[in-house]
Amino acid sequence: MAAYHVVLVHFPIALWMVASLAIVIRALNSGPLGLAMDRALPVFLILGVILGAAAYTVGLLVWPWATLSSTPMGRNHMLLASWSLAYYALLAVVHYLHGEEIWTGLSRWVMVAVAGIGVVLVGITGTLGGHLVGIYTEVGDVLRLLGWEIYSTYYVPNLTLVIIVVVAAALLALGFLGRGKAQN
Amino acid sequence: MSNIKLLGAIGLFSGALLISWVTHGTGVVVDDHDRNISIPDQLTVPMQVQAAYNSTTMFMRYRWPAERPGIFHDIVRYEDGKWVREGGGMPGPNPFGMHEDRVAMMLDDGSVPEFGRYGGYITIGDGLAGLTDEAPEEVSKYLPLTRNSLGAWDDMAPESDQMSLRRAGYFIDLWHWRGARSNPIDEADDQNVAADRGGDAGSSPYTTNWDSDAGQPLVMFDADATGYRALNWEDVREGRISQDQTYALIADAAVPFDPEAGWQDGDVLPRRIVRPGSGSRGDISADGRWADGFWDVTLSRRLDTGNPMDDKILKDHGTYDVAFAIHRNATGGRWHYVSLPSTLGLAHEADINAARFTGTTPVWGDAWTDVTLFYPGQVTWAMLNSAHHAGASSIAEGIPVEARHSPEQLAVYGVEVEFRDEIRRQWLLTLIAGVALIFAFGFALNATIASRKGA
Repeated sequence: MAAYHVVLVHFPIALWMVASLAIVIRALNSGPLGLAMDRALPVFLILGVILGAAAYTVGLLVWPWATLSSTPMGRNHMLLASWSLAYYALLAVVHYLHGEEIWTGLSRWVMVAVAGIGVVLVGITGTLGGHLVGIYTEVGDVLRLLGWEIYSTYYVPNLTLVIIVVVAAALLALGFLGRGKAQN
Repeated sequence: MSNIKLLGAIGLFSGALLISWVTHGTGVVVDDHDRNISIPDQLTVPMQVQAAYNSTTMFMRYRWPAERPGIFHDIVRYEDGKWVREGGGMPGPNPFGMHEDRVAMMLDDGSVPEFGRYGGYITIGDGLAGLTDEAPEEVSKYLPLTRNSLGAWDDMAPESDQMSLRRAGYFIDLWHWRGARSNPIDEADDQNVAADRGGDAGSSPYTTNWDSDAGQPLVMFDADATGYRALNWEDVREGRISQDQTYALIADAAVPFDPEAGWQDGDVLPRRIVRPGSGSRGDISADGRWADGFWDVTLSRRLDTGNPMDDKILKDHGTYDVAFAIHRNATGGRWHYVSLPSTLGLAHEADINAARFTGTTPVWGDAWTDVTLFYPGQVTWAMLNSAHHAGASSIAEGIPVEARHSPEQLAVYGVEVEFRDEIRRQWLLTLIAGVALIFAFGFALNATIASRKGA
């Protein structure tokens, strides 16, 4: 399955990278080029999520769970892949639900920032995948300089988990508040 | 208003990401002596190696940093009319500095091919003393084929097989220099690893300075020769005893213990008596000095000891596999630093090139081979060949460890293995929490944009 995963994973990476570029162009350009990018964006995002989910599923079959969940690099790869997939699914849903509206006001720049984080997530995921098959890049050194030794599993302590849960609850509350107002 | 909510959502999301980044990797890796866990502050140590040989003798020189010299192994201290032992095996460093420094070299001639690919990892079977899952009896290093099945420390291969394996050279020679128990008599302990880590034939360079029946030491320092009967506990503990004074009880120089010698609280005697090793076990000579924060140890042994069942016989133009280990900072047992395997060539291109010379002692130049030593954690050979190791199939294919891992990487993995279950749980929770955070952020983002549309 490893070979299939390697082949498959190129599609979502390419689609998500192009989608991120399209978001940046659309945010900066409201002319014909930007509008053209925006029309193509759903294809990149939705196809990216579908193929990303497929690559993710095949990736889960490369090793038995005992191996994947015992190997620091395997854990990290899966963690970042999960977040990347969730992240671009978020982008796809936001764009699908709101279309042109996301390019007005502050949300235009929020989309740029969100796309930027997505690129970082996918970049790290790919880097870790490369390490798993013995292809190393300097990205690992950059992450090390920033404070993460990539050969160690990325996890947070219980207190941080609690903070994340509280923040997630606050975001949900914020969302419900906004939704309530929209319905009124 | 929607902009404020949008900014709030971004702020919350970014803040959570930042806290995650700052706190990651904390809260799990902590020492737990009940589980035999003590993680060193420093995971790698640099070492330098030189090698040379003449027509009869092999010389190996090692240099590595050590904050202070570990020249005591364990001692007995007089206190309130009794002799109390200080030192002995424990997880991590002894708080009083009571554990000797050591350097060890495993040596093979290719008869144990896995050793050349995976080094000392192949000797770490399940159940070893010092592991969290240590066996109920003391189990030392052993080679895989000496057991009927992988990881079964108590399922010994038949004695006839053990003998056949030994005759086929299926053992690893072990040159084992000890800062307290061999260096004072300018020797190293000649050992080997096969069914266990044991001494070569003959007697070891040390014995115990303790009379169990009388509850007192057997010997003490000769005051006429040294000026003292015993050392002082404060001096020993604070590292004020140097190699320039008599600090070891050498068999011929010590005198029988006198219980009526007016012992004072704080008097200290080494709990070991050092004596020349005999037979095959006494094959290795040593010269070890600590100065300016570094040990500089030279070991020498005849190329052909005449003991092929204990030692790997070295030959001109031959190549061999070696791996190194040190103990420092008063640690013993598995709390050492080890190397990946290297090749040693006698006038033969290798990782470590031994230069041939004429004369009796080599003239060492400045050309060293740098070796990175690393803390290996609790990685067993059985685990490396199991589903818990992604590289198990690579081992089955015979791919050397060096092709996949660096010492720095292995040190990190070694620590991770010691907390495998705890880290796995925390990682899964982190993964789920991250997805939940992304979902919640997406929800907030959607709702905020929707409210703007509805406004």
